[in-house]
Amino acid sequence: MAKEMIAMLLAGGQGSRLYALTQRLAKPAVPFGGKYRIIDFPLSNCINSGIDTVGVLTQYQPLVLNEYIGNGQPWDLDRLHGGVHVLPPYQQASGSDWYKGTANAMYQNISFIERYNPQYVIILSGDQICKQDYSDFLRFHKEKNAEFSVAVMEVPWDEASRFGLMVADEDDKITEFQEKPKNPKSNLASMGIYIFNWDILKKYLEEDEADPNSENDFGNNIIPNLLRDERRMYAYHFSGYWKDVGTISSLWEANMEVLDPAHSGINLFDDDWKIYSRNSGLPGHKIGETGVVENSMITDGCRVNGHVKHSILFAGVTVEEGADVEDAVVMGGTVIKSGAVIKHCIIAENVVIGEGAHVGAMPTDSEKGVATVGSGVYIGDNAKIGPNAMVRMNVKDGEEQ
Amino acid sequence: MINENTNAMGILFPNSYDKVVPELVSERLMASIPFASRYRLVDFILSSMVNSGIDNISVLVRENYLSLLDHLGSGREWDLTRKNGGLNIVPPFAERNTKIYNGRVDAVASILNFLRRQKEKYVIMADTNIALNFDFNKLLETHIASGADVTVMYAEQEIPENLRVKEVWERGLYYTFELDGTRIKHIHINSQKEGIQNYSMNVYCMGREALIEEIHNAFVHGLTYFERDVLSPQLDKLNVQAYRYDGYFARITGMKSYFDENMKLLQDENLDGLFAGNPIYTKIRDDNPTRYIEGAAAKNVMIADGCIIEGEVENSILFRGVKVAKGAKVKNSILMQDTVVEEGAVCNYLITDKAVTISKDKEMKGTESFPIFVPKQHTV
Repeated sequence: MAKEMIAMLLAGGQGSRLYALTQRLAKPAVPFGGKYRIIDFPLSNCINSGIDTVGVLTQYQPLVLNEYIGNGQPWDLDRLHGGVHVLPPYQQASGSDWYKGTANAMYQNISFIERYNPQYVIILSGDQICKQDYSDFLRFHKEKNAEFSVAVMEVPWDEASRFGLMVADEDDKITEFQEKPKNPKSNLASMGIYIFNWDILKKYLEEDEADPNSENDFGNNIIPNLLRDERRMYAYHFSGYWKDVGTISSLWEANMEVLDPAHSGINLFDDDWKIYSRNSGLPGHKIGETGVVENSMITDGCRVNGHVKHSILFAGVTVEEGADVEDAVVMGGTVIKSGAVIKHCIIAENVVIGEGAHVGAMPTDSEKGVATVGSGVYIGDNAKIGPNAMVRMNVKDGEEQ
Repeated sequence: MINENTNAMGILFPNSYDKVVPELVSERLMASIPFASRYRLVDFILSSMVNSGIDNISVLVRENYLSLLDHLGSGREWDLTRKNGGLNIVPPFAERNTKIYNGRVDAVASILNFLRRQKEKYVIMADTNIALNFDFNKLLETHIASGADVTVMYAEQEIPENLRVKEVWERGLYYTFELDGTRIKHIHINSQKEGIQNYSMNVYCMGREALIEEIHNAFVHGLTYFERDVLSPQLDKLNVQAYRYDGYFARITGMKSYFDENMKLLQDENLDGLFAGNPIYTKIRDDNPTRYIEGAAAKNVMIADGCIIEGEVENSILFRGVKVAKGAKVKNSILMQDTVVEEGAVCNYLITDKAVTISKDKEMKGTESFPIFVPKQHTV
C-alpha cells in the first residue's frame, strides 16, 4: 500500500552544546515543557497532520530515545502498516557505516522509504520546538508543483547572518541559498524542514553518495546541487512559534516562554493540536501546607512544600519546605532539599540538591549565565554552583563551583 | 517458564455497592467513579493485580457500564492487551441468559464455560469499591500455605454509621466475621454492632475448580449471594480462612466516605500508603501540565494535569482539566474532570461531577458532614 507522504526525522545529533544534559541521551530525548521530550513535538505534528509513517534516524546515545519511542503508541503511531520506526545505522553486506551526514543517513535508509513507495518525503529535525501543520506545507508544495520545498521563517535582518538563508522571488521560488553569509540577501531562514518529491530525493541521494568529495549533508550538498540543476524549489513561509533548542540558553528560554503562551511562547493548552508524550503514571501533584506556587507549571507526582516562582517542574519533583526555586527548569524525579536556593538554571533528571545548597543566580547586567546540573548528580549540602557552571559530577558538601 | 506469572486469574465485580453512592453512579458504576485526582476506582485493584503478575482478568459488568468500557478500552494502559488472558469484559448479555444478574452466583455462573477453559489454578475475586496498592501474592501464598478452601480478606474497622440503618438490604450486603484463630466461624450479614469489627473486604482467593463446582451447585439451586448462600451455610464443611489486611486502603461506603477518603490523601502518609508502592495505571488523557497563573494561590491540595489555576484553592482535590478563574475561591472541595469555577465564585465543601460549571460570583457552601453535590454537566 503506497503512502502519499512519509516523514523522516533526523534524531542522530549529539547536541554537544547541551553538554551536561546530553551526556547520556540524544538531543531529541531532552525533556521539555514539564512533561514532554523534544521529539514529542515533531511526532505529534506528524500524527496531527495525518502522517502515520515516521522513520527516526538515530545514532548518538540512542538507548533513552529508543525506549521512549517504543512501539509509538503514545503518539498513535503503532500501526500495522507504517507507524514509527527507529532506524539506527546497520551492517550491510558491503560493510557497515555510521551515518556520515544527514544525506548519508537518508541514503542508508532508501530501502525503508521504498517499502512505502511514497510520492513525497518530509524531512524533519529533532531539535526544534514547534507546532506545525505539515499537511498545509504539502498543500503548498503541490500547488507550486515543486520538486523541493523548504519551510522558512522570517528573522530580523540583523540576525540573518546566523542562519542558512533562502533567497526567493515574489512567487516564493528559491533562487539562491546562503549558509550563514556575512552579507545576507534575504531574511528567510531555513527551518531545516523539507518536502521532496521522492523520485527527486532518491536521485540526488544516490548522486551525492557517489561523490567522494561530498560531506553528505542536506544544507551543504543536496540543496546546492538542486539549485545548480535549476530544480523547481520553493520556500514555504511559516509564522508560528518556532525555536531551535540546541543551546542551554535557548532551551531555558523556550521553557520559560511556555509560561507565557499569550506572548512569546508555545501554547500547550490547545485541544485541537495536542502534544502527546509518554506518561509518567504518577498521581496528581501536591502542594502542601507550606508550599507557595507563583506563575509556574507543575505536573503529576510533584510535591511542593517550598516556594516555586516562575518555574517548570517535571514529573515527580520534590521541593522541600524552605527551599526557594525561581526561573528554573527542574526535570523529573529531582529532589530539592530544604533551604536550597535554585535560581535561573536547568536541573536535569534525578538530581539531589542538598540542604542549603545554592545553584545559579538571577541574572545581572554582566552575568546572564544559566547554570546547568546534569542528570543523576548529587549536589552536597551548602554547596555553591555559580551561574555559568555546567555540573556533571557530584559536588561535595560545602564545595563551590 | 522464565518469567513465571502468578498462578491466579482475577474476577472483578464493578457494580458492587453501586447503591451506596446513587449520585455518583447515575451515569456510571462503582468501578468508574473518579478518585484521587486522576484515577477511577477500578484502577487500584486492576493495577494491583497486574503488578502481582495476574494477567488474566475478567470484569463482570452488570449495568451502566459504558463509562467503564470507555475507561478500560482494550486494557492497554494496564498492560492487559494480551494474546493469552488479558482483559476480558463480560457484559450481561454475552452468554445465553440475558437477564441482569443479582449477586455473585449469577454473575460467575454466566462465565462457567470460560472458567473451565482457563489454565490458572487459583482465582482472586474482588469488588471495586476499595482502593488499595497490594501484592496479591501475599494473599495467594497464605491461602496455599493454610490449605484453605477459601480465603477472604478483611480489615479491622468500624462499620460506617450510614450503613448501620434500616433498609440497608436495598443497598447491598456487607459482612463481618467471627473468627476462631484465622478460620471463619460465623459470617454476620449487615451487623449493626458498633466498634471495631472483622469487616470483610470481599476479596476472595480460592481454587478455580472449587469455584466452578460451588457456583454450579449454587446456580442450579437458584441461590444468589456467594457469602450468604454459599459460604455461610458451609462454614463447618469448608475451611474458610480470613486474611487480615493491615495496609492503607480506601473503602467507599457512601457520599461522606467518598469525600473523606479523597481528603485523607492530602496527608502525605496516606498518599504514600496508596501510591508509594507499585505504580497505579489509568487511562491517559494527554493533558499538558497544570498552569498556575499570576495571582493563583494553592495550599494543601492535590491537583492533576491539565488544570489552569488563577484563583485560590485550599484543602481540595482537583481532577484533570479543572479551571479556577481569577478571584474564585475553592476550599474543602472535590472538583472532577473539566469543572469550571468562574470568576468570583466561591466553593466550600462541594463535590462537582464531570464538566460542571459554577458561574460567576455564585456561592456554593456545604458543610463538612453534608458536602453539596452537583451532577455531571450541570451549570450552577
